[in-house]
Amino acid sequence: MLIETFYRQIGSEIVTNKSFKFSMPVYKLHYFNNPRRGRAELSRLIFSQAGVQFEDVRFSHSEWPNIKPTTPFSQVPILEVDGQVLAQSNAIARYLARKYGLAGKDEWEQAQTDMYIENIHDLLNAAAVPFMEKDPAKQKELYQKFMTDTIASHVVAVEKQLKKNNTGYLVGKQLTAADLAYYAFFSDFIEVKFGGAFLKDAPLLKSLIDRVKALPNIKKWTEFRDSKYPEEN
Amino acid sequence: MPNYKLIYFNVRGRAELSRLILSCANVPFEDYRIEHSDWPAIKQDMPFKQIPVLQVDGVNLLAQSNTIARYLARQHQLAGQNEWEQSQADMFIDCVYDLHAGMRPVAREKDPEKQQEIFDKVNEEMIQPHAKKIEEILIKNGSGFLVGNALTWADIAYYAYFTTPMMDHLGGQVLESHPHLKKLIQHVGDIPTIKKYIETRPVTSR
Repeated sequence: MLIETFYRQIGSEIVTNKSFKFSMPVYKLHYFNNPRRGRAELSRLIFSQAGVQFEDVRFSHSEWPNIKPTTPFSQVPILEVDGQVLAQSNAIARYLARKYGLAGKDEWEQAQTDMYIENIHDLLNAAAVPFMEKDPAKQKELYQKFMTDTIASHVVAVEKQLKKNNTGYLVGKQLTAADLAYYAFFSDFIEVKFGGAFLKDAPLLKSLIDRVKALPNIKKWTEFRDSKYPEEN
Repeated sequence: MPNYKLIYFNVRGRAELSRLILSCANVPFEDYRIEHSDWPAIKQDMPFKQIPVLQVDGVNLLAQSNTIARYLARQHQLAGQNEWEQSQADMFIDCVYDLHAGMRPVAREKDPEKQQEIFDKVNEEMIQPHAKKIEEILIKNGSGFLVGNALTWADIAYYAYFTTPMMDHLGGQVLESHPHLKKLIQHVGDIPTIKKYIETRPVTSR
């Protein structure tokens, strides 16, 4: 564009938009230190893939009673953006994905991306039931049930969609937060809980997970994360 | 205008927010309600074996109730006026999602006395604390709406939550301590296009 038009545009933005900033926003993502991935991990992956700096604030459960009243809805994760606060893990992830080109190339692809993120949200909520169980024998039983009742059928459905889309990605022709969400959830399952057997009939999903894992920025993040925050028992 | 077919059971449930958004925006749509006996056959064609599903132009399918509602809100100027407002609206939608989840133990209880007891507990532990925060946000925002200075699907979502048959039955007084929220709910219900839809929608138990 012409230089004059460029400066006119910036000028009018400064006049009309009080919060106009020349620099990258300051991001602080707040979450528990345990689980070390949990409902904040998708946002961390989005930041990492996009190459965007953020402060990864992690606090202990003993600090939580003091922090809780400072959050909008007594929950974390929350995202501070230049001091303004956004709550709800999916809202945060979606905001970042859209801002940094990881949400699909048009409104329909954005909706598809949302759909997959919400699928994972349902799986996370369902997984919370065995996760919260204190008795180890009962927990094992609940996880087994979760795998056969919930995970198995979902893997079949997603494999079908991957085959239909036929690009190697869940949405359109390139990486979106949908792929990151599936990677986050299923890699946790594979690496931490169950091993990869449940993916034996889902080669496309398995391939997607492996491909995301190997992305340079994701690899960089997971290596940093795993060394700084080793997996707890 | 795209051709919309919203596929769901003949209840309000997880499709009602989308029906309200489309009605509010005065957008025609096929409100395709299925019987439970039809479900096993239809299920096979649904991408994740769940409904609601939105079919657009007879071809493209979109699943996940909040995704459908968000897509429709964004297409019809009910999602917020910039990216930050859109995210704020998304945040409120996720809060309402949690509120609905909290009501499930109430819905599961069939004994009327026990049901009221469980509701009263959910109200005290979850609904009232949350409504108090929403009241504070409404006062601080100052426009009468949750996000920015105009109606968004966030306002409609709270309307849908606080006007379910179960809430009417068990929670008549839930908003008494929250006048701004109560006023917002009233306002949404009075919007002419929404009012028309409410007066003509099928009467269902939930």
